Amino acid sequence: MTVFDELQQAIINGQAALAKELTKKGLDSGKKPRDFFPNAIIPAMDEVGRRMRECEFFIPEVLIAARASRAATDLLRPLLVGDEAVQAAGVVVCGTVKGDLHDIGKNIVAMMLESAGFRIVDLGVDVAPEKIVQAVKDENANVVALSALLTTTMVNMKGSIEALKAAGLRDKVKILVGGAPVTDAWANSIGADGYGKDAPAAVELARRLAATA
Amino acid sequence: MRLKLISCEIFYREFSATVARSPHIVDVEFLPKGLHDVGTEKMRAELQAAVDRVDSARYEAVLLGYGLCNNGIAGLTARQIPLVVPRAHDCITLFLGSSKRYLEYFDSHPGVFFKTTGWIERGGSDGELTQLAIGKAIGWGANYEALVAKYGEDNARYLQEQLGAMTQNYSQFTYIEMGVEPDGSFEQRTRDEAAKRGWKFEKLAGNLAMIERLVSGAWDAQEFLVVPPGHRIAARYDEGIIAAEAV
Repeated sequence: MTVFDELQQAIINGQAALAKELTKKGLDSGKKPRDFFPNAIIPAMDEVGRRMRECEFFIPEVLIAARASRAATDLLRPLLVGDEAVQAAGVVVCGTVKGDLHDIGKNIVAMMLESAGFRIVDLGVDVAPEKIVQAVKDENANVVALSALLTTTMVNMKGSIEALKAAGLRDKVKILVGGAPVTDAWANSIGADGYGKDAPAAVELARRLAATA
Repeated sequence: MRLKLISCEIFYREFSATVARSPHIVDVEFLPKGLHDVGTEKMRAELQAAVDRVDSARYEAVLLGYGLCNNGIAGLTARQIPLVVPRAHDCITLFLGSSKRYLEYFDSHPGVFFKTTGWIERGGSDGELTQLAIGKAIGWGANYEALVAKYGEDNARYLQEQLGAMTQNYSQFTYIEMGVEPDGSFEQRTRDEAAKRGWKFEKLAGNLAMIERLVSGAWDAQEFLVVPPGHRIAARYDEGIIAAEAV
């Protein structure tokens, strides 16, 4: 097995310390920081997403895999600064909408998007529409990902999208929505660009949308 | 009228008290609260099965003791007799007596976890449902030792921190007193739990009016949706919360 294969396995198995060690080993042996993503990290998290869909992995497995992935990317990111050949897959502003304090789902989506090469600007929970608008401006984001866990708060997704429209930013970003009560029909009715049924779906959608944003 | 009430057990005491005073004959089937933890599709299937068990020749309507409950009732279909459904996001609307009161309180009190007699004494999942429960699959119920055994010590510590975060944004228990309590023990248990977690405690006076109107047949269109036979419940995300659509 190459060091990339080993790293991929370590991430899938949620072995953070090993992932860190293998990343160091790879770097020491002359592997380029940018090559870790397509050869180990992204395929590992794609596999995690697949297993989650097939119900082989549940939230704990996904969380520890994302943590192992982060152990690797934390070492790599500083080395990528200034590497012209590397561009983030996109910049995602994410958050749980106003009035809603639930964040495990949002955190998992954020971690998986990060592993997929996106730069994440996580605004946390109970995020007011103005804050989303400001972050999109400040960070030059091209994707906005909104989460809500309650039918009482998902209406605030609409308010966030309207605030982006009012600020003249709606056409600059792709908006994806998710969370337990959210449906495709709801996403369409509020003018979002897509609905992620689960974290892997959100990643797939973000990739597709970012490519056209 | 003879009515059939299918209700979440969370309302056990409230419906027991109001059915006793209803002018109608109301037969009741309570379903386990654990249905909320098995995912929207399974919850809907179980509820539909309960609706389909009702002998339509015997009853004039089926009453639903549920809110929209995270879309758990969306798609539920009325067969030969109408289905009467409260316009409510969840049970708290029914405990507080109106969706307006609930939304006002919700908006001004983020981070509140509500308690009632049902939320206290019927909080656990039903034995047979536990196997299906999502909470179990994602490890919320797992204790630290079980996490260590499965994922190792380092990951177990991380998971406990992450999964424990589920309630980290909550900061208050609100006990809703419905007037069906035998004594102050339910309130006291909530106060004790708040003290243990270092959360705030507040008591609200509940209001049985909406629950009463459901079982007494006062189904104002503002407050209840009457789903005609051959129609199903659809989520609406506006003030009406739910609507009926033809199957």
